[in-house]
Amino acid sequence: MSHNALGRSLTARGANPVMWPAIWLVLLMVCVWGFPYADGVLRVIEPDARQVVYQRASLASLLVQHLLVVSAAAVITTASGVLAAIVVTREWGRNFLPLVAQVASLGQTFPPVAVLALAVPALGFGTLPIIVALVLYGALPIVRNTLGGIQGVDKEVKSASAAMGMTGWQTLCQVELPLAAPVILAGIRTSITINISTAAIGATVGASNLGDPIIAGIVNGNMAYIIQGALTIALLALTVDSLFERLQERLRSRFYTS
Amino acid sequence: MIELAHVSKRFGDAVAVDDISLHIPKGKFCALVGTSGCGKSTTLRMINRLIEHSEGDIILDGQPIAAYDPVKLRRRIGYVIQHTGLFPHWTVARNIGLVPRLLKWSAAEVQAKVDELMNLLGLPKDEFAHKYPHQLSGGQAQRVGVARALAADPDILLMDEPFGALDPITREKLQDELARLQAKMHKTVVFVTHDMDEALKLADHLVVMREGHIVQQGTPLALLQHPQDPFVESLLGGLERGLKQAALTRVKDHMAPMGPTLPAQSRIPAAFSLRQGLSMMLRDHTDRLTVVDQHDVPVGELTLRKIVKEAQPEQGKVRES
Repeated sequence: MSHNALGRSLTARGANPVMWPAIWLVLLMVCVWGFPYADGVLRVIEPDARQVVYQRASLASLLVQHLLVVSAAAVITTASGVLAAIVVTREWGRNFLPLVAQVASLGQTFPPVAVLALAVPALGFGTLPIIVALVLYGALPIVRNTLGGIQGVDKEVKSASAAMGMTGWQTLCQVELPLAAPVILAGIRTSITINISTAAIGATVGASNLGDPIIAGIVNGNMAYIIQGALTIALLALTVDSLFERLQERLRSRFYTS
Repeated sequence: MIELAHVSKRFGDAVAVDDISLHIPKGKFCALVGTSGCGKSTTLRMINRLIEHSEGDIILDGQPIAAYDPVKLRRRIGYVIQHTGLFPHWTVARNIGLVPRLLKWSAAEVQAKVDELMNLLGLPKDEFAHKYPHQLSGGQAQRVGVARALAADPDILLMDEPFGALDPITREKLQDELARLQAKMHKTVVFVTHDMDEALKLADHLVVMREGHIVQQGTPLALLQHPQDPFVESLLGGLERGLKQAALTRVKDHMAPMGPTLPAQSRIPAAFSLRQGLSMMLRDHTDRLTVVDQHDVPVGELTLRKIVKEAQPEQGKVRES
């Protein structure tokens, strides 16, 4: 298959791949800037409530807070997860493989709410405990995919890289990581997407983000609040997820691994 | 020059290679032959230290290999494996240029070398330079594998069943090309295969291995004429041994001058083997062939009587040496 044919078959799959992130982003913006003016629509859901538009903070500022928390967690999780997986797939770190794999799965079996409950007494209220909870919760997909990606590199290819006289570092950077990149990226995508929704529980410990309207809605029995928070979070997750999909497509088209 | 002296390799209690000694002079083609698990691949991989040997000495150009830095050692030894081990995310050109880049050649030097090798191995640059390994046929991929191994002009080439996964026609073509390259470049080659015909065709020196030992070594002709035991004999093809020997002998070494009689109808090029001559006689129901040069000009005559008789003095000669 020639270069062009490969490119064509990639774009032919699904609609225009540029479109989805744009569509979700526009919808997200419509929500963030439109809800304050949607009194009439929200009134239909909660006709008896004193207020239906969430006004304690602007959705835009909550969105920024939300993104900051998720990004901070993502940076920490990705850096430590990928690093840990690299270390335990080296000759000298192989003994730690079971340990890292178990710690990562333990992080995800532990409910984030429980992590919050344990972290608050140690770290106080605010943003820090939720970042800790997200880091633990999001570690597994990244560690697991990085391990799988690196271990999935063809043995012949690895053996050839050693036989050609590549150092361990060169093999890692030029062969293992590039070949594992699509799988690692898929892990980061999963981790970030689930953490965008999980971050909402941070509102219960005073980390103000898009979880605030949801918690306020639950406390006050106001469905309109819940919808404003939930819809914005869902659209944020879809936007980010579709952006990652674009990124993966680009990676795939750059080198197609048979 | 490669010298193995009393080399052994143990994996735990299992002995993979047991006390083998082997001398491969510079520029010679040495084939290690044997059934699966006889230790031939292990032997090969000990030479570039992909596997460290347990006992004995492996000496390369006068120095024990333990004295070399493994990374530097491997950069000066070409290595070709059965499934090519090409990097799937790199183009053909980038794959071939790997070792020169590791050796920090300038971009222009790498480019020139890659072009030269693609040309040498029959991979037109415009068509192949930017292809990825998955876009190549098995034969093309293995050409790239050989080009990559030759890129930094190594004196030594290690080949681990390089043509084992190819169809018979492609395999034969690549064998012919390897023979042509070797005649031109005179590398010291260590070649592992379980295909005896391949080994007989290519090797100057044949080493038969079994269960980690060397059973017999020598020139292909010597082994064919005097297999040491039934194992070597069966590996060499048992009853077909005679034909294999004929396959190693050129027509031009056995032809007689043109006789006074009318030249025979069937013609055979002088560069062909006696085996091909025999086959032609069987096909054409004749005991006489006209030998021609590359311009199809008759230069001599090959007779069945001569083929059969000629085996005798040849045998005597080998015994003396």
